[in-house]
This record gives sequence, C-alpha cells and structure tokens, in this order.
Amino acid sequence: MAPTKKGEAARETKRKRGSVNSQKPEPAVKEVKPVEKEVKSLKEEDLLLDSGTDSDYDGDSLSGSLNSDDFDSDIFDSEDDGSQRDTEDGERESLGDKDHGHEGSVGNDDNGDESEQVDSEDGMEDGSDEGSEQGEVAEESDSSEDEVAPRNTVGNVPLKWYENEKHIGYDINGMKITKKELRDKLDSFLASMDDKKNWRQILDEYNDEEVEVTKEEQMLIRRLLKGEAPHADFDPYPTYVDWFKWDDAIHPLSSAPEPKRRFLPSKWEAKIVLKYVRAIRKGLIKFDKPEEEPKVYDLWGDSTSDQKNKHLTYIPPPKLKMPGHEESYNPSLEYIPTEEEKASYELMYEEDRPKFIPKRFTSLRSIPAYGNALNELFDRCLDLYLCPRVRKKRINIDPESLKPKLPSRKDLRPYPNSCYLEYKGHTGKVTTISTECSGQWIASGSTDGSVRIWEVETGRCVKTWQFDEAVKRVAWNPHSDFSILAVAMGRDLVILNTELGTDEQQENIKELLQLGNVPEPKASVAAIASWLPDEKNGGIIIRHFKNISSIDWHRKGDYLSTVMASGETRGVVIHQISKKLTQKPFKIRGLPVTALFHPSRSYFFIATRKNVRVYNLLKVEEPVKKLETGMREISSMAIHPGGDNLIVGSKEGKMCWFDMDLSSKPYKTLKNHPKDITNVAYHRSYPLFASSSEDSTAYVFHGKVYNDLNENPLIVPLEILRGHSTSSNGGGVLDCKFHPRQPWLFTAGADSIIKLYCH
Amino acid sequence: MNVEGEDTSKKIQAKFVTKLDSPFKAPATPYVISSNVTRLGLSSVVNSLLKLHHHEPFDFLIDGELIRMSLEQFLLAKGISAERILEIEYIRAVTPRKEEKPSLHDDWVSAVDGSSPRFILTGCYDGLGRIWSSAGSCTHILEGHAGAISSVAFANSQDAESVTVATASKDRTLRLFKVDTAESLDTTTRLGAYKILRGHKAAVQSVVAQKSGSMVCSSSWDCTINLWDTTEADSEGVTATVKRRKGNNQKEETQSEGEAQTTFVGHTQCVSSVVWPEDDVIYSASWDHSVRRWDVPTGKDTLNLFCGKALNTVDVGGEGSALVAAGGSDPILRVWDPRKPGTSAPVFQFSSHASWISACKWHKSSWFHLLSASYDGKIMLWDLRTAWPLSVIDTHKDKVLSADWWKGDSVVSGGADSKLRISSGISIS
Repeated sequence: MAPTKKGEAARETKRKRGSVNSQKPEPAVKEVKPVEKEVKSLKEEDLLLDSGTDSDYDGDSLSGSLNSDDFDSDIFDSEDDGSQRDTEDGERESLGDKDHGHEGSVGNDDNGDESEQVDSEDGMEDGSDEGSEQGEVAEESDSSEDEVAPRNTVGNVPLKWYENEKHIGYDINGMKITKKELRDKLDSFLASMDDKKNWRQILDEYNDEEVEVTKEEQMLIRRLLKGEAPHADFDPYPTYVDWFKWDDAIHPLSSAPEPKRRFLPSKWEAKIVLKYVRAIRKGLIKFDKPEEEPKVYDLWGDSTSDQKNKHLTYIPPPKLKMPGHEESYNPSLEYIPTEEEKASYELMYEEDRPKFIPKRFTSLRSIPAYGNALNELFDRCLDLYLCPRVRKKRINIDPESLKPKLPSRKDLRPYPNSCYLEYKGHTGKVTTISTECSGQWIASGSTDGSVRIWEVETGRCVKTWQFDEAVKRVAWNPHSDFSILAVAMGRDLVILNTELGTDEQQENIKELLQLGNVPEPKASVAAIASWLPDEKNGGIIIRHFKNISSIDWHRKGDYLSTVMASGETRGVVIHQISKKLTQKPFKIRGLPVTALFHPSRSYFFIATRKNVRVYNLLKVEEPVKKLETGMREISSMAIHPGGDNLIVGSKEGKMCWFDMDLSSKPYKTLKNHPKDITNVAYHRSYPLFASSSEDSTAYVFHGKVYNDLNENPLIVPLEILRGHSTSSNGGGVLDCKFHPRQPWLFTAGADSIIKLYCH
Repeated sequence: MNVEGEDTSKKIQAKFVTKLDSPFKAPATPYVISSNVTRLGLSSVVNSLLKLHHHEPFDFLIDGELIRMSLEQFLLAKGISAERILEIEYIRAVTPRKEEKPSLHDDWVSAVDGSSPRFILTGCYDGLGRIWSSAGSCTHILEGHAGAISSVAFANSQDAESVTVATASKDRTLRLFKVDTAESLDTTTRLGAYKILRGHKAAVQSVVAQKSGSMVCSSSWDCTINLWDTTEADSEGVTATVKRRKGNNQKEETQSEGEAQTTFVGHTQCVSSVVWPEDDVIYSASWDHSVRRWDVPTGKDTLNLFCGKALNTVDVGGEGSALVAAGGSDPILRVWDPRKPGTSAPVFQFSSHASWISACKWHKSSWFHLLSASYDGKIMLWDLRTAWPLSVIDTHKDKVLSADWWKGDSVVSGGADSKLRISSGISIS
C-alpha cells in the first residue's frame, strides 16, 4: 500500500498545484455552468458508450491530470499504474453507490439553479458540516478516486504524439476519442466571466476534458496549503497506547533498534567464500565427476562381481559356456551331425550323449519351441529347493595364533631339565621317595622290601633297612628336629629312626619312639589300628586292619594320616605319634585313595575315587567343600604350599588344578600323559609342579600362584623329563618329589633307579 | 711348481720359539709348514727338529692363544695374517705322562689334599683319614670319626717333624691330628685326634686351614662357617678332657674339645666349600647359588657372586690369586674375576664335563692352569687360554669326588671307586 499512498500524496500535490494556478480568479465563481453542462453531456455520452464505466468525475479528472502531468515521474511508473488500475477495476462495482451519490449531488447542483445558495450552503456547510463531510471523504478517499478508469486508453505515452491528430486517443472499445474544438481565448474568457465556477475547472489534457474541483478537494488543497495532513481525520498526535505488557515479562526484551550490522553483508562469510573460490581455482577442492554410463553393456561379462559385494552370502551361478556357431539356428553344414553320428549318439549312454545336437532351420520363424524347457525348469526348481540355505564358512586361521600366549620357557628358569645324578642300589621297582626337609637326604622305598636313605649330593646310599614286604610309601617327618621316617608296607606302618640328627635330637627321638604307656584305645579304633614296638629297628609299628595305600605327615610332625583304600568308611585314620593315639574322625563316602593335611591351616583333604572332600579338622562331621574332578579315578593329590591350590592326578593321565577360592570345579585340566599318573608334586618355594606317569616320563610345569585374588594362576608346561627305561613290563616313573630347596626333581623309576633332574 | 701341493694346502712361514731349556730348544730359523697342520702335526715337526729320544708332546701358542684347530682355521678365526713369518711359541703339553698305580681304600674317597709335597692326605667314607707318602704306601691312618669324612686339610705342613691335619666329617665334628713325620714310613701308624671340634649342627662339608697360623675354617650343612683354633688346648679352661678307650691297642689318650671361635652366618643353605687364600679373606660357595667373600677380622661378607646353580666347590687362584673358580650342580666350571667392577658374569666358562663338578683347583704356580673333577668320572686340566680341556684324565671308574694338584706336576684324585689315583708327569712351566 505504501506506493499507492505515496502516489496519492503526489496526486494531492498535483491537484494543489492545479488549484493554485486556478485560484486567483476565486471570486468569480458563478460562470461555470455551461461547462458543467458540457461535462454532463459528455458524461452522458460516456454512460451511453459504456454503462459499466460510470466513472466519478473526480477520479477521472484526478487520474487524468496526474497522467498528463507526470509522465516522467519516477513514482508513477507503468507498473504502478497497472496495479492501480487493476485494483480500480476490482473495486469499481462496490463503489458504484457512492459515485451515484456524487452524481446525484452534481445533478442537484445543476438542477436547482441556486448555485449561490448552494454555494452559500456549501460555505455554510464548510463551517458546520465539515467534520461529517470530511469523514465521508476520508472514508472513500482511498478507493473512489483511484478506481475510476480514464476515458482515454492510450496509456502512458507523450501526448505530443497526438498533437497533430484529430483524436486524443482511444476509448476502451477502441473507438477514437475526438478532440474537442478549442475555444478561442475570448470565448473562454467570457465563459469564465459568466460561469462563476469556472475558476474551479481544470483542463485534463489526457482525456481532453474540463474537470471541476469538488468541494472536498478544495478543502484538501486548503489543508495542504496550511501544511496540515491531507486527510481531515488524520490525528498527528494520537494518544500513545502502550500495547506491550511490561509487568509480566519474565525475560527482558530488548527494545533496542536492530543493529546496522544485521543489514550489512558479512565480511567473514565473504572471506570464507573467497577461500573456497580460491581453493576451487587452485584445484584443491574437487567435485565428484558425474557417473559415466557404460556405453556398451557386456552381455557375457561377469555380472556377479557387483552382487558379490552387496550380499554376504551370494552364491554365484555356474558359468555357462558361451554359445558357439553350432548353436546358431542356421549353422554351417560342418556342424550338423550326419545321420550315422546321430545313430551313434543313440547308442551312447544318456550321460555321455551330447546335450545339444545342432540343427538347421531355414528361418527364425521355423524354430520350434524348446523341447526341454519343462524339464529344465523342473531341474532349476529342484536346484533352488535343494540348495543349502546355510553357507559353511571356512575360516583361515593360523593355528599358531590359537595357542595361548605363554611366557617363554627361558624366562621361567630355573626348572629341572637334565639328569646328572642317579641313585642306584634298589633291586626292585622304586615305588616311593621322600625328601628330608633340609634337602640333604632322600629316602626311598622299593618293591624289594628295602628302604634306603641316600645322600643327595653324592648319590651314596647312607642307610638301608630290609623288610619282608614291598614298601608302599615312605614319608620323612617334616619337622627338622625329628628325622624319623614313616614307612608303609602292607598293613604295617613303621616309624623308623634314621639316626641322622644331632645327639640331642637322637635322644628326643628315642624318647618319642618309646612305646611305654600306650593309652587304652577305644574299641572302634582298636579294630582299625594297633601300636606295637619294633624291636628290630627300634621304632614303632602301627598295624592296620587293611593295606595302607597312602600316608601323609602333618606339618608339625606329630600327626600322621594313613589311608586304607579298601577300608571303606573306616579308611582314613590319623595317628598322633607323641601320644601314640589313633583317631578315626571321618566318615568316608566312597573308597578313599589318598589324603593330605593342609600346609598351614586345620583342613584335611580326602580324595575318593572321583571327588576330593575338604574337612575342617576342628569340625569333622561334614566336609566343608567337595571338589568335583570329573575324572574316572584319582591316583594322587598335592597341595600348593600356599594352601589354596590343589592338583589332582588321575589314572587316565589327566591332571586337574583346583583353585579353591575360585570354584569346586577344576580351574585347568591338563591332559598330557598317555598313561596313568602315579604322583603329582608341588615345589615348596619355586613356582613349579610336576607329574610322573607310567609312561616313563615326568612333566614339569610352571605354576605361579599370585597373591592378587583377581589373577588366575599361571600354568606353563616346561619340560618333559625322560630317562627312565620304558620297558614294556610295567615301566614308568612311580613317584616324583621336588627337592625342598633347589629346583630339582627326584623321580623314582620302575627300573629301580632314582634320578635327580637339576636345573 | 707343484700344482697339486698348492691345491691341498697353503704354505706358511713359521718360526718356533720357546722358553724351555736346552733339550727342548729348537733353532730359531723360519720353516715353511703346511697350513692345515694341527697341534699334533706341529708337535711332530718340533719333535723332528729337536731329535728327541722320547716323543714329547708340545702345545703351541700364537699370540697367547693355544692352538686347538688347524693352523689355517686358527689364523682365520683370529684374523692373523699368514703373509709374515708366524711366531709360534711351544710349551710342553700339559698332560699326565705317567699313571701311578691306584691306592686302594675301603670306601669312597671323598677328600684329598695335596698341598704338602711330602704327603697326600685322603678322607674316606669309612670315617678314616689316610696319609700317603707315595702311591700305595699309606703311612698313617687317622681314626676317630663316626661318620664319613667329607673334607681334609693340612693345617701346618711346613713343620719338619710333625704335620697338623684337620678332617671334617658328616658326624658334625672336625678332628685335628698331629702326624709325626719322623716315624718310619714302612709301617702304617694309626693315630687318634688330639682335638675334637664340635659345634656344627649338621654334617660338615668342608675344612680349610689358614696358610700361616693356627686356624681352620669349616663349613657345614647348617649354613654356617666356623673358625677354629688348632692349638693344643692346654691353657684353655673351657675344653674338657675326656678319656677315650681306643679299641685297637687299649691305650688311653687324652683328647681336648674345642669350640668355634667365630661363626659366619649369611648363607641360607648348605655351605659346601670354603677356601682360605689369604690370612684375612675366606671364600665360600654354597647351595644357595652364591659365592661369598668373608672378611675374617670383621666376619662380614664383602662380596656376593650369584651363580644360579647350587655350588659344590670353589677355589681362588690364577692371575694375582684373584680369580674365583667354582663348580656345582651343572657341568660348567665358571671363573669370575671379582676385580671387575659392576659385573657378576663369569669371565670364563668351561663346559666339557658331562655331570656335576665336584672339585676344582687352581695350580699353585701357574696363572693359567686349573683342574676340575666331575661326577662323570673325569678330571680335566684347563688352560685359561683355550676353551678346550688340555687333557682329560679318565682313570676313575665312577664319580670323582675330589682332586688336587700334588707337587706341582701331579694330580691326585679320589672317587667313588674307592681309589686314590695319582697322575704325574704334568709339566707346567
């Protein structure tokens, strides 16, 4: 609306100018009538010509004056005019009533010849009815003046083009509008003198009309001359209404005007753009080239390559042989088999017969339908149906990488690896060995009934005892002050004095082994074991009711446990040497195999054929824990000196490592030996453990137990110790024990030799 | 030109020099010899030059290194030019030329001492010490121990009339004997100890005497090293005199008992061997894998060499009597130089044995020679200038338990075959 308003204001000024020109003869007002009549007649013509365009004179005159005066005015460019006209056309009808009203009033003016009266009335009205009239004008001003289309339709062209023509232009129907004849000066002067309203008339050159300035327009001009607003109802000082509610606002809103920088182009963006432009010019930024469509489609090419990438499990179809000349519908004669050849095909097996026999057809039209189509379709369906849905993936993995990352053997030194010393003297299988706690001597027992003590350092046999039965177990007392030896053979457990300690210790031992006042045992225990003096060797014999299979000393050297495998529920008893007392605290379920004291706490481990039960010696009724080995038959057991880890060897060659803090299931199961494991052993101070087997080997492992409970024990196989003879008649290594202080391993062989493996 | 001769071997000009005396002095003129000759070839060359009656084996040194391969290989390996005239020094080969007949014992010979030029002292598993004047002639038998003797030592062999002998036994005691050398050498005299040293709680492994003085030092399975006084305890009130009935000749003798003067504690396992090279320094080897040097006046260990293996024997000698040789539970004889700062790696390692090393001894006068005895039944003579053994004495049928030099040119050794073997005629210049 802004341009139209501007235009309006400009028109206003034009009109004012016009009025200013014609204001001087203001007193002579009354000689306007004839002109008015002409106008009226003209107007009637107009009405006749075009009933639709019952235009308002004011509007006409105004627009006419404007158009004629200000062709080169930059406010009224052609576009503006057009739009103006459009709006005028649109609103013309709605404003028709008002126009008529004007006409009516004009008519009144004309009819009643009381122009003066009217004038006076007008003048009166100027004073009294100004407000109401002005209100009307203000109401209609926007539309009425602008809507009326000019009579002439030549448009915005210089009027001098029509100077020498008889017409001034064309009306809306294309008819020429003829020029009025110019009145000579005298006539016009006389007319002006006659018509007192003549001073109000202005010539509209564009429409070639005389236009009379209405009263309202006069008022408007007057206001403009005074420097007031053109519209009467415009209030230059309206009372300010503060629409904004300041009180309830949470956030302060800035009423600051928008800064200038919002309207300025950003320098920073310009810099970025410049940078991109430079980069593009230098070739640093490259745009994707539009994809090139392959010009030729490779009909026989490998179309599967792109599909391979799309689908993980794409199975490519088998490649077909490319068709040759023989498959043409009209092959050369040399491809056509002769009748004999065809007959020979018939004789062949169906599999050997050629799948395709070339035929000749004179034209494409004569080619029959493919005979095998149905069969092949069926085969294809069968293929699809029988095609394996699951695709087996073969994974290429280096088997080396699947091995667990173990530290190098070199870093785990020292460990026993080579045999330098042999202890020879036994004549039967050496079934058992035991090391003295200082590591100076070892004791061994053999099937020849002899128990020997050897000097570790030189391999010399220091002492020998000869018994009648094969020795099953020997065990050196772990207490360093009591160098006594427990020997199990048959049903007897013999406590031997080795006479290796100092004189003082000797006396203590002799006192200990005095069987003076044996307390009367309970009846239940008496049936199991009886204490007898050993006159021959100066020791004690504890005679059991069944054959002894295993013995173990308590760490303090006073208690000694014996296991009788066939003793069933009474199979495990504990002897107290100092009090010569036998106890049977345990109720065993199953056949006991071996038993162990905990190295530091009051626990006791009993291995039956399949499981290991842990008893608290202070509360022996029920086992504290049951360790499930999952093995067929346990043969041996050893406990880590820390007391939390246990290894169990079985007769099928398996060895289980139990971490008792971890679970009752084995932490690791090592399957190394092809034959029975005869014994397992831990080293007292080095992180080593070993297993001996009837396959004449002993395995040495690194078994490090960490103090940190979060860290699992590290088990690394280190060495296979061979050396014992592998004779077919029951060879093997029957026992293995670590040297208590050196990383050395003693192995007792069925070849009657004890070997010492050093690091 | 003989084309074939050139093909087979190159010729090297060599000059033989020696420090030996007149019968072995070769003319110092250069000779042309084939480059593929070994020590044997060179030895025969020198023998032919000297025109000796008996064939004498020689050993050859080039730039202080013994030749143990063909001359060509040796020159290549050492980067010595074969263009100029080689100077080859020859010495008499260190090898026993004579094997004495074995001296029989009743049991394993566990200890032998040859530090006295007049006698050989042996200890035996039957608990008797024996003194031999020569092979087969036992002059004295030292009685008294209840257990096997593990070590013997001459405490004071300089004395003309009598010699003091210390024996250590597995019965946890040491005994001191005074042997009268003026007695006739034809008959065997049985002797009792004049002093019994008690104090060890476990078997005594080794005994050694101070060179000049009246002290012996012993080491034991109880992880300690004890120092004892050897003087007859007349003045000492602490010793008790016990009367002891001699089983043999019913003679009553007085024996005094001694207690340890000083105890060195520090080893954590059996101290298997001690040596006392100087008056105030004792070296000890232990099964706890270490060799320690003890300062006698203060009783503190001033050096701790870690070996990694349990050690059975240690000896000090060689250049400046400072090199420590030790052997133990593996077949490698190691030599350390404790004067080298900041390193505990052995400077020499000799690994020709097949089993544990039971004894090693430096030659008393030579800086280069030492012997080692092993459970594989062999005694090897070593020269620091080559990694090969100079000679191997393989006379024992079983483990060699001890060995020593005797009179500078013989090796005496005792083993599990109950024999004392003497290999003599070793010429060490």
